[in-house]
Amino acid sequence: MLNNESISLIKIRDVLLVAMPPDPDDTTVNVLQEKVLCAMEQYQIKGLVLDISAVETMDSFFARVVAETAQMVVLMGGETVIAGMQPSVAITATQLGLTMGGAMTALNADLALEMISSTFQRGQ
Amino acid sequence: MIDDNFGEIAINNESDIIVVRKTVRVEATKLDFGLTDLTRIVTAASELARNVFLYAGSGVMKWRVLKANTMVGIELTFEDNGPGIADLEQVMREGYSTSHGLGLGLPGSKRLMDEMEINSHPGEGTTIIIKKWRRRY
Repeated sequence: MLNNESISLIKIRDVLLVAMPPDPDDTTVNVLQEKVLCAMEQYQIKGLVLDISAVETMDSFFARVVAETAQMVVLMGGETVIAGMQPSVAITATQLGLTMGGAMTALNADLALEMISSTFQRGQ
Repeated sequence: MIDDNFGEIAINNESDIIVVRKTVRVEATKLDFGLTDLTRIVTAASELARNVFLYAGSGVMKWRVLKANTMVGIELTFEDNGPGIADLEQVMREGYSTSHGLGLGLPGSKRLMDEMEINSHPGEGTTIIIKKWRRRY
C-alpha cells in the first residue's frame, strides 16, 4: 500500500479525538466514517473532534465524507467540531466551493474540546 | 517554451489518485510555487484524477514544466478514453453531477487554476488541460 498513514482515534472523557493524516486516500477517508460511528455507539461518545491540522489536501470527496460524518454524528445525538484547518487548505476549499455542512469549526483541537464541553454544560 | 521536465502517471485505480497528488506536489514544489498555489494545484489535480477514475475507469495524467519570458508554470493533462462529456456547458455549471458528487470538480478546479481547456467527444473520451503560472523571481 502506498498510503499506510492511518487514522488515530483517542477517547478523552466523552469526546472522541480523531487526527487525520496529511494526505489521506479514499479508503482511509471511508474508514474514518465507519470507525468514528462505531466508536460513538460503543463508548457512548457525545462529541467528535476531527483534527485536520496535518491535512495538506482536501478535495471535494474528502470534504463530502467529513460533512456527511458530521451529519451522522448529529443523528446519533452527538456533535462534531472540525479543528485546525490550515490557511492554504481553507483558501483552496473556499475557492473550490466546499462547505463543511453544519459542522462547527475551531482554530485547533484544544479550542474544539472547550467548545464541546461548554455546549454540554449549557445543555445540562 | 517547453522544458525537458515532463512525465506521466497512469490512473488505473483509486490509489493512483494519491500518486498523482504526490507527483504534482513534488513537481510544483520544485518550481517554487507558494504554499497556497501548491495546495490549489494539488487539489485541482486530485479532483480531475478522481474524475478520470470515476467516469472512465482509467486514463493518464501528464505533467510538464512551462517556461515563458517572465513566467514559469506547470501544465497538467488528464486524458481518458471514457464516455466523454455530452454537454460541456452543463458540467461547468455549479452543482451538476452525474455521480452523486457535489458537482464542484470541474468549475471548482477551473477557479483554482489560471487556465483550463476541455476537449471531449461523447464515446471517444476526454482531455482536460490545466495550467498554473508563477512570475519568475
